[in-house]
Amino acid sequence: MDITEYIKLVFTDYTLRTITLGTAILGAVTGMLGSFAVLRKQSLLGDAISHAALPGIAISFLITGAKDSNVLLLGALVSGLIGTFWIRGIIKKTHLKSDTALGLILSLFFGFGMLLLTFIQKQPNANQAGLDKYLFGQAATLIESDVWLMAIVTGACLVVLLLFWKEFKILLFDADYTKTLGFNTKFIDILITTFIVLAIVLGLQTVGVVLMSAMLLAPAAAARQWTNSLGIMVFLAALFGAFSGVFGTAISASQNNLSTGPVIVIVASVFVLISFIFSPSRGLLFKQIRFIKNRRDLQLHKTLAFMHHIAKTHENISHPHTVKILNNFQGYTRSTLQKLVHKNYVRLDGNMWSLTEEGFKTASNLYNQQSDNNE
Amino acid sequence: MSNAQIEIQLIASLVAIACAIPGTFLVLRKMAMISDAISHSILPGIVIGFFITQDLNSPLLILLAALTGIITVILVEYIQKTGLVKEDTAIGLVFPALFSIGVILIAKNANDVHLDVDAVLLGELAFAPFDRLLIAGVDVGPKSLWIIGCILLITIGLLFAFFKELKISTFDVGLSASLGFSPTIIHYGLMTVSSVTTVGAFDAVGAILVVALMIAPAATAYLLTTNLKRMLVYAICFGVFSAMSGYWLAHWLDASIAGSITTMLGLLFLVIYLFAPNKGVIAVLYREKQQRTEVSLLTFLLHLRNHSEEEERHVNHLNEHINWQKVRSKTVLELALKNNMIVIDNDVVSLTEKGNDFTSQAIDYIITNEDSKIEHMKDDFFLFRG
Repeated sequence: MDITEYIKLVFTDYTLRTITLGTAILGAVTGMLGSFAVLRKQSLLGDAISHAALPGIAISFLITGAKDSNVLLLGALVSGLIGTFWIRGIIKKTHLKSDTALGLILSLFFGFGMLLLTFIQKQPNANQAGLDKYLFGQAATLIESDVWLMAIVTGACLVVLLLFWKEFKILLFDADYTKTLGFNTKFIDILITTFIVLAIVLGLQTVGVVLMSAMLLAPAAAARQWTNSLGIMVFLAALFGAFSGVFGTAISASQNNLSTGPVIVIVASVFVLISFIFSPSRGLLFKQIRFIKNRRDLQLHKTLAFMHHIAKTHENISHPHTVKILNNFQGYTRSTLQKLVHKNYVRLDGNMWSLTEEGFKTASNLYNQQSDNNE
Repeated sequence: MSNAQIEIQLIASLVAIACAIPGTFLVLRKMAMISDAISHSILPGIVIGFFITQDLNSPLLILLAALTGIITVILVEYIQKTGLVKEDTAIGLVFPALFSIGVILIAKNANDVHLDVDAVLLGELAFAPFDRLLIAGVDVGPKSLWIIGCILLITIGLLFAFFKELKISTFDVGLSASLGFSPTIIHYGLMTVSSVTTVGAFDAVGAILVVALMIAPAATAYLLTTNLKRMLVYAICFGVFSAMSGYWLAHWLDASIAGSITTMLGLLFLVIYLFAPNKGVIAVLYREKQQRTEVSLLTFLLHLRNHSEEEERHVNHLNEHINWQKVRSKTVLELALKNNMIVIDNDVVSLTEKGNDFTSQAIDYIITNEDSKIEHMKDDFFLFRG
């Protein structure tokens, strides 16, 4: 199947269109809210919440006996929130650290959820099958109403985000200052946490409990590398998330036996990897290039300083010397000499070199300038 | 109890002990989430190992999977070192990616692989006794019992051999490095043991329960004691207790054994979290209330000492002057009376000699910035606490 054909199919085929739209919206909303989670150093909270949502799904099924996804997600939301606030309680009231609290709630809630799920499976009720799709997610089960729900939540989230933008931003970077300005930090905090929980719960059906945390983190971590501005970061994260959704769906749809959730996560991870390496200001590649360039500059300066040292002892600063005397000097290479010539600091004449007027001036000011810069 | 039931409980208990030992150190080193990461990211290792060996219980598979666990740790640490993202984000990025690779590997080879993700995540303890180990045709017990037994023996051996090093590098990295124990070696040693335990246990109890068994008993024990040896013993006891009781809960409900063991761990933690003598929530809340009253009392006494005028010390005036609610001022007043700090004469409150002594000492401490000593002073002066 080639690409144009696939794109045509996305617009005509109901299932494919729904899934693509659903995963794209999901990616956008999780990327958006994930930015806040990452910057608040709550990256793993997403992992804990998504696991903690499982018993909620099981319990709401036990109570209602129906498999209506909205009711189940409501249960997931409630139990996710309980998990979140219990984690906070543990961190605040006891001396257990946040990682212990997260791991504890994650595994305990998930285990309890599994107990309930297996308990449900043994019940004489024909309706119970399909609950375990929440474990790994099944994008194929998305229907139009699910996508509408996602779109509505995303819209609400966008409105709240724009409405409380200033508050969220200031709380993110300086919580104490926010408090002194008279904002109700507790309310803002709970608001943003609730929305993060909401986004996670929405994704359970598509990517599942286990992989949901990556949807939250990966787009945000990728976006973080490209910018230092919160607004751009949130926008980029939403974009990356949406693209991961679309590409992931496309890849999994074009192959047999590929579940959508893991593919989306891998696509998102590839985004992260690319951002880690190729981002211009923070990326590893450019960092390495800058590192090498700085080292070269240093060598260049060293050679120039050495030449200056020799030229100083002569009356005529442009008095030619042989290249040979440079050979013993550490840091000198033929290419640095060529570069110096290129910069018009040095004149080459056969095997002889001489400093130019400009080169001498630069060399004598070399360390002065540096000490000036340091001050 | 049938033979199989005893064997299941034995396996569960051994897994609990084998997890509790590295878990205690993980919790103390604030690396609890690493165990979660390892438990997920061993999946590709298990799958690849399974392609090679075709046997879920082969030692090679365990080694391969444990290697994946260590690779996870190294990857996480590498990403942290680049400084591009924070530590927890690094963990959150690495393990879902590896886990996804594992899931896709399984899905792509679903037809010829006798392995499914549910089994890896949740395990099936109930089937463990059916997979017997035969040595020279003689049945010597379930395979997973032997595997986890070996891992447990190695873990205990390492624990006794390196207890001192583990202890010192957990609590004071700088000191251990200066004494010549390499914290790095200890760190990776611990990571290796955690990975091997996770892999050895996943087949019996599943990846998530391994996390629960590592973190929950240690965290529960940490609420009860601050002594490392005692914490280890408590953690092991909690683990074994939950394993046993969890089995019977599962038996009664006819549900997943792994799930019910986790539920028992959760209940245990909840009880200790609420009722632990010094660090439980109720104890903490009680202490906070007590301290609040005592601080109020101190403020009240200071106020009395600063004002010799009678109208400033009148009961009605005090109420509005310090601006407390009625109930609160009543508690404070009663506490002061009970402790013989004040006398009320004709609705005018005045300090007794003892109250005067207490207040002047407290002022001394506050002025010299030694507020913490007031806490000790309370023991000397108070007959009743707030």
